[in-house]
Amino acid sequence: MTRRPGLQTEIPFEALDPEYIRMEGARKQALDQGRTRLLVTGVMLALAFVVLGGRLIDLTQNGKSGAPQWRARALAKVQSSVVTRGNVVDRNGNILATSLPTQSLYMDAQEILAGIDPGEAVDKLIAVLPDLNRAALIAKLEAGGRFQWVSRNLTPDQVWAVNRLGLPGFGFRDEERRVYPYGPTYAHVLGYTDVDGRGLSGIERKFDDRLGNLGETVELSIDMRVQSILYEEVSKAKARFSAIGASGVVMDASSGEVIAMVSLPDFDPNQPSGVMGTRGFNRATLGVYEMGSTFKLFTTAMALDTGTVDLTDGYDASEPIRIARFTISDYHGKKRWLSVPEILVYSSNIGTAKMAVDVGAEKQKEYLTRLGLLGSTEVELPELGTALYPARWSELSTMTISYGHGIAVSPLQLVSGVSALVNGGVKIPPTLLKRSPANPLSGTRVLKPETSKKMRSLMRMVVRSGTGKKADVQGYLVGGKTGTADKQVAGRYDDTALISSFVGAFPMIDPRYVVLVLVDEPKGIKETFGFATGGWVAAPAVKAVIERMGPLFGVVADGRTKDAEENPGHPLFVPATSPPKRPEIIGEGVRRAIY
Amino acid sequence: MTVRAGILRHTTVLFLVLAGGISVLLFSVKYQVRDLETDYKRLSKELNLERRAVHVLHAEWATLNDPKRIGELAAQYLDMVPIAPAQVVGPDAVLEIPVREINFGEGPDGDPQTSGKTP
Repeated sequence: MTRRPGLQTEIPFEALDPEYIRMEGARKQALDQGRTRLLVTGVMLALAFVVLGGRLIDLTQNGKSGAPQWRARALAKVQSSVVTRGNVVDRNGNILATSLPTQSLYMDAQEILAGIDPGEAVDKLIAVLPDLNRAALIAKLEAGGRFQWVSRNLTPDQVWAVNRLGLPGFGFRDEERRVYPYGPTYAHVLGYTDVDGRGLSGIERKFDDRLGNLGETVELSIDMRVQSILYEEVSKAKARFSAIGASGVVMDASSGEVIAMVSLPDFDPNQPSGVMGTRGFNRATLGVYEMGSTFKLFTTAMALDTGTVDLTDGYDASEPIRIARFTISDYHGKKRWLSVPEILVYSSNIGTAKMAVDVGAEKQKEYLTRLGLLGSTEVELPELGTALYPARWSELSTMTISYGHGIAVSPLQLVSGVSALVNGGVKIPPTLLKRSPANPLSGTRVLKPETSKKMRSLMRMVVRSGTGKKADVQGYLVGGKTGTADKQVAGRYDDTALISSFVGAFPMIDPRYVVLVLVDEPKGIKETFGFATGGWVAAPAVKAVIERMGPLFGVVADGRTKDAEENPGHPLFVPATSPPKRPEIIGEGVRRAIY
Repeated sequence: MTVRAGILRHTTVLFLVLAGGISVLLFSVKYQVRDLETDYKRLSKELNLERRAVHVLHAEWATLNDPKRIGELAAQYLDMVPIAPAQVVGPDAVLEIPVREINFGEGPDGDPQTSGKTP
């Protein structure tokens, strides 16, 4: 900082150091300015490099928005599926419905008209796709739309043939086609989709969002093997008795899962036509029928549960009941006093009606509601029927409903109710989805466990020695109840048009499955001596189903013969007859007293 | 002064060499990335084709697995029949198996042999 006077010819290098130089005036100003500019520029550049460096690190770490996301892409590749709509699988993972990638042909009329003669183009196209309608296609062309479908879901061969023509204005779009490998077998369970892949009925419609938008797989409670067996046996029964329709349900009694469900007539969901009439009608869940005698199970159960009767009690069934202008009589009439087991075994309308009157209309309503028989069918399908019964519940209604007339329920409601009777008395909402063991069952108790135990014995007895003999499978301890109801035709009961059904469960010691077969308007044949009742029509079908499905689930047959069940020590033993209560016959004529 | 100039010169050379080295590295990495990208695209395409094929084959398998079809084929080519309910037995059935009488050292070679007699 010292001042150096005098002139110097050589300036030492050190002198350039600002420490040694001190200038004044314009020169100093210029130099300071230059230095400041240099500093500012330097800082700016440094900052720019810092920003660039930061960006570089950022890009390396996260990538540019909009640019290919390597990490995300690698993940997406693993997750994304070939098709957007999810599969429907059975409880063992077998595919019941899937989508296949296909290509569909569209045309841009403007481009075609600008290029070649439309007639010529259409002729060439029809040469490779003969199903097309020439006139309709030309009309479409002349309308001049820029995007019109020509043909949907072509095979790879057809796509190749069309491409080979090299026609301008035609193009392909990737699409999906819904495929049902087992055709009509699952028609009413799965439903079907339209050409754009939107669910129109059944599971496809109910879970359209999960299948279509989320692409999830829907796992059903259906077992493919049992469904196939049930479909075959119900079809056989329908054909054998020239019936107009039939349906069948197999349910897991303890979980409410529907193992198989069939409704005939049906359709092929691979080729759904717009108007299907009765073929599109799900008889198992949407159709409601007067079930007839199978309802006696519920009446007997409520009478036992309320303590109105015990197994040793009974009713006089020798005379038909006359009420209002109706007569209630027995089909298999015994014309004598019947014990409670006998009323069920011989399917006595008179006895059941008397039992129901003793239970009372209020209790009857309450039990039927709890068993889910007065509401609508509950299951994961859009096609659900609601029970029909008289708004005014008169004494006559109580009587007829006790044996299944004057009330109509869907087959699924009936099966679900019977499941509650045999599984220990717990009503579990039926489901078509596989229950995961993690989800606890949400059942409600409707009957005492002892009542359920008695019902099992009674149902077994119906098959052992009553109207359901034809459903018995040696060793499986099948129990059940037949039902035969006259159909209402034009407001009157027609005794030639029947609904014949059988609902059974097995093995009766601890029932695992409930099976129902219902046949609509069966015609009697020579082998059944002209009979078309539940015992002749539906019971053999249920037997065939149980016989075939039992071994699949490893159900062990009881080695004991039927005679063992007549032994009072057997768990399913029921005393068939016991003397009537004396007071009932006191004062009656001698003819009655000796029944 | 000379020391300082020397350092400057050396630094320049060093940086030039570094810059050159990094450029070579950068180029090689760039080309490597390009090759990998091509591979990746090719593999993705192949993978998609395979996935498509697998998906279609699953559907085909389902069609071929139709119980009705298998039943018909079994009836045509196999001598087997469905299991009858009586053939399924519980664990206690083991106790019902008849006992064979076993005689040791009576065979021609002195090997243990079963007589085949049941008590």
